[in-house]
Amino acid sequence: MRIRAAVSAALASAGILLAGWQSGAHVADTGSAAAAASTATSSGASGISGGAPGSSGGSPGAATTATGTFAGSAVQTRFGTVQVQITVNAGAITDVTALQLTDDDRKSVQISNRAAPLLRDEVIKAQSAQVQTISGATVTSDAYLSSLQGALDAANL
Amino acid sequence: MQPTFKPLPAAHPAQSATNPNGPALKSRTFHCMGTVISLALPAGAAPQDTGRVLDGAAAAVERVFAGLDEMFSLYRPDSEASRLARGEVTLRDASAAFRARFADATGWRLLTDGFFTPERPDGVLDLSGIIKGYAIDQAATALQAAGVEDWCLNAGGDVLVSGSPAPGTGSPWLAGVVDPLDRAALLSGFPLGAAGRFAALATSGTAERGDHIWRAGVGRTEFRRSEFRQASVAAADIVTADVLATAIVAGGRPMLNWATDSWDVEVLAVLGSGELLATPGFRA
Repeated sequence: MRIRAAVSAALASAGILLAGWQSGAHVADTGSAAAAASTATSSGASGISGGAPGSSGGSPGAATTATGTFAGSAVQTRFGTVQVQITVNAGAITDVTALQLTDDDRKSVQISNRAAPLLRDEVIKAQSAQVQTISGATVTSDAYLSSLQGALDAANL
Repeated sequence: MQPTFKPLPAAHPAQSATNPNGPALKSRTFHCMGTVISLALPAGAAPQDTGRVLDGAAAAVERVFAGLDEMFSLYRPDSEASRLARGEVTLRDASAAFRARFADATGWRLLTDGFFTPERPDGVLDLSGIIKGYAIDQAATALQAAGVEDWCLNAGGDVLVSGSPAPGTGSPWLAGVVDPLDRAALLSGFPLGAAGRFAALATSGTAERGDHIWRAGVGRTEFRRSEFRQASVAAADIVTADVLATAIVAGGRPMLNWATDSWDVEVLAVLGSGELLATPGFRA
């Protein structure tokens, strides 16, 4: 049983690879990743999905929903040039690949610098004995005396 | 003008013996702009020399701060800012230096979609939000001109550094960020200076009790609860760090995302509930 399952899985994988290879070759042939690839990849796509469009009713209307690979325009961002390609099968995005995601700048790998929730244990830790200065909301002259910065300065007279 | 950088009394004798193994520093403090400004230099091999250099450097820094405070403070009835607030003069009559800072502030208002604003809700022009950062920046220029390479300047919790606390080692200055829920504890640390991208760290918070802040913007000046209790911003320069920290506290998450998308900064924000939002640079 287990062997049969493994063999059929391997065969299925090979089929998927082959279909992917084919569609990839078509994209390369046509040069343009957009509309021209649409018809070419549809045959490959049906191979991958095992006739999914047919099973979803088999109506000719399915032909009007988008299928193919589409490249977005290259966008200049703070992190360098970014361009993505999507693979669409019967109107649903099945894959997103980055065509351009790099720049000489080392920040290219860090596309998002957005702030995310973080546990208190996960931030860079520091004890007041290790730091040389303290950043905080502005303290008044009075509050300074009892502040951590006040203690640090007192230690460094 | 008499320099007044006298050492302030230690309020925490128990904590005064901090940092036994860290780099030895010497610091001077003075009062200005309603807060305390502190300049620290590595103690170096010859303490007497360090003391002399530090006294001169602190005097230069104090001159910069005092000069700007004289012009921009709304607490001084004779300042240019106060005369403008009373309507005795208009911006047209203001000095070139005053108008230049006004231009800076309105530029930042545009860049932050109005969340940083030089106008109080009552309409009075208040440039103090940008003047402290500008004073730190100008003090840095004075220190560079004096040939001082390694220093840490802290103005009421806004920090700018140069070089290293242990010259020759390449080690950065380590700044602590105050925990707004327990102001005697540190929430996080952040390395500044040395070979790193960031020399400045500024923290903005809601009022000491943490309840209200002017949440102002173009056409939306109002008084309401802020989403953030505190925001710390690390940047290459102190004005950017200071302005964005203020804008994030005023503008909440949309401004936080706008800041991290548009500037090369790291941000650590504390929500009203005490939870944290941080960019990757603050992750341990």
